[in-house]
Amino acid sequence: MVFPIPHDSTPILEVTDLQVELVTADRVVRAVDGVSFRISRGETVTIIGESGSGKSTTAMGVLQLLPHDLAVLSGSVKVGGVDLLVDTDAARRIRGRMVSLIPQDPMTALSPVHSVGKQLTGAVRLAGHPRGKARARAVELLEAVRIPRPEEQLDKYPHQLSGGMLQRVLIAIALAGHPVLLVADEPTSALDVTVQAGILDLLLELQERTGIGILMITHDLGVARLVSDRIHVMKDGRFVESGDAEQVVEHPREEYTQRLLAAVPQLGTFDEDTPVEVPA
Amino acid sequence: MATYIAKRVGQSVLTLFLTITTVFVLLRLAPGDPAAAYAGPNPTTEDLERIRAQFGLDDSILVQYGTFLKGLVTGDLGTSFSFQAPALDVVLERLPYTITLAVSAIVVTALVAIPLGVWMARRADTAKEFGANLLTITGQSMPDFWSGIMLLTVFAVVVPVFPASGFTSWGGLVLPTLTIAILQIALISRMVRREMSTNMAAPYLTVARSRGVGERALTWRYAMTNSAIPVLTALGTRFAAMLNGVVVVEVVFAWPGVGSLVVRALETRDYPLIQATVLVTAALTVLVQLLIDLAYPLLDPRVRLAKTAKQKTAPAVAAPEGALA
Ligand SMILES: Nc1ncnc2c1ncn2[C@@H]1O[C@H](COP(=O)(O)OP(=O)(O)O)[C@@H](O)[C@H]1O
Ligand SMILES: [Mg+2]
Repeated sequence: MVFPIPHDSTPILEVTDLQVELVTADRVVRAVDGVSFRISRGETVTIIGESGSGKSTTAMGVLQLLPHDLAVLSGSVKVGGVDLLVDTDAARRIRGRMVSLIPQDPMTALSPVHSVGKQLTGAVRLAGHPRGKARARAVELLEAVRIPRPEEQLDKYPHQLSGGMLQRVLIAIALAGHPVLLVADEPTSALDVTVQAGILDLLLELQERTGIGILMITHDLGVARLVSDRIHVMKDGRFVESGDAEQVVEHPREEYTQRLLAAVPQLGTFDEDTPVEVPA
Repeated sequence: MATYIAKRVGQSVLTLFLTITTVFVLLRLAPGDPAAAYAGPNPTTEDLERIRAQFGLDDSILVQYGTFLKGLVTGDLGTSFSFQAPALDVVLERLPYTITLAVSAIVVTALVAIPLGVWMARRADTAKEFGANLLTITGQSMPDFWSGIMLLTVFAVVVPVFPASGFTSWGGLVLPTLTIAILQIALISRMVRREMSTNMAAPYLTVARSRGVGERALTWRYAMTNSAIPVLTALGTRFAAMLNGVVVVEVVFAWPGVGSLVVRALETRDYPLIQATVLVTAALTVLVQLLIDLAYPLLDPRVRLAKTAKQKTAPAVAAPEGALA
């Protein structure tokens, strides 16, 4: 971790023995098979694994956003001490207020027929700001995610903005309700490599400023190495290796982790303008 | 925008011209003799020739077409053989009845089909939804003459709550409207359901849910707004089709609209009346289509802004071209 943030000992998120079974017409897939992890204030915990290993299902399970007719969850997911699997209404209350999602593909994550401003002020109003002050707060949020000329951007529609800009808008939207935890499901994998570092940089800066916890999902060990305090390596729904970021990246125990390490390009720096290093 | 409208209006006029020309020629190539239809039983050759001369049918098609075009510019569509009155007037007199029926049917359709489709999308795979689904399939496969006669039998004959035919009071509007609406509700509600299901499974909806947007707003403000274009297109296209005269329903209920008029005009080979009917209804259809096209930019910012902002990302939803069918 690059920023020296004192850790509060009570976890924001505590996941214990989470299992997710996906029930489809012809079969049942145990996409998540008994994973446990915790995230405290100011921490970034990363789940890394290859495609199909169950990362998104874990993230969506934490947010209780898996379709009810598809997913059966067991174990426990405690946010601020409340078990979302027991109190089934709790997830609805905390989404956007305590926990927010940063989606994988910003291009499809906003309603195409509503303006950026409408969707952002909507989130601001859900967070309890009165209508009259919503626009000012929206501008503030866009400034916080370093979007140039925020007033202008509010009137734009999603198709008028680049992927990187949209991801910043989505981060602003996620922050509208002052959450304590961000769930970021591959927040940079749909973006041009040149803007990936800028988004990660922004997330870390926001974390430094607010002490927000981050659950980072990625298949990219380069990303994991840069942002994580702890890393869990996921394969076939289980964590095959867990530990401090440094340790997992520098001294991977599992062959699977070593393969991931070898397979991915590594981000060189956080500077948005600097081209990304190509893997050796 | 102005050029877009001008272009679309130009297209529409050309479409109308081609339609009426095709009808003009085909009518005269088709078998059947208008003169015979008016001459009464056992006409003599002289009778027929006199009638042909009177109707201008002894000229060549080209001459007839020239006369027709000349009349067209001045708004004169000829004299109906059977009504012995200006064909256009005969059609325009009937038009309000067809428009009334079409408006009534489309309003009922929209009011029932949209909530029903949304409800089905939200209750997907439940027993109730299965029942509703079955009903819409039944409605979809029921021929309109059959449902019309059933409604007529039950509500005008067995329990006479509504008049059986004609348009003598507003009550007379009920049964023909229902007859048309049954089929349209079945079709449109299934389409609404399909569109809503797609949009409710879209990533942006999950992301909106993740920021605490409530289910009601997700359904109506997000999924419905995104479904609006295809649904409104379908409603508009159906409405345009109804303006051509809902022939079967008009005949079953003796509704004095253009649908029943065109049946009579065809029976008697009343060329000017057929031409006037085609021209008027085609013009209305084209007009409604034009209004639908003009509504796209209002509903979809990707269409609205496509010209002004030069974007590398193409609009995900292209405006359907002339869905006139
Ligand atoms: N909607 C779904 N229906 C059925 N199986 C699914 C569905 N979504 C994901 N899965 C299965 O669950 C497993 C985990 O998927 P996912 O969590 O998306 O992996 P990851 O995010 O790591 O790529 C995969 O085997 C995938 O095939
Ligand atoms: Mg995934």
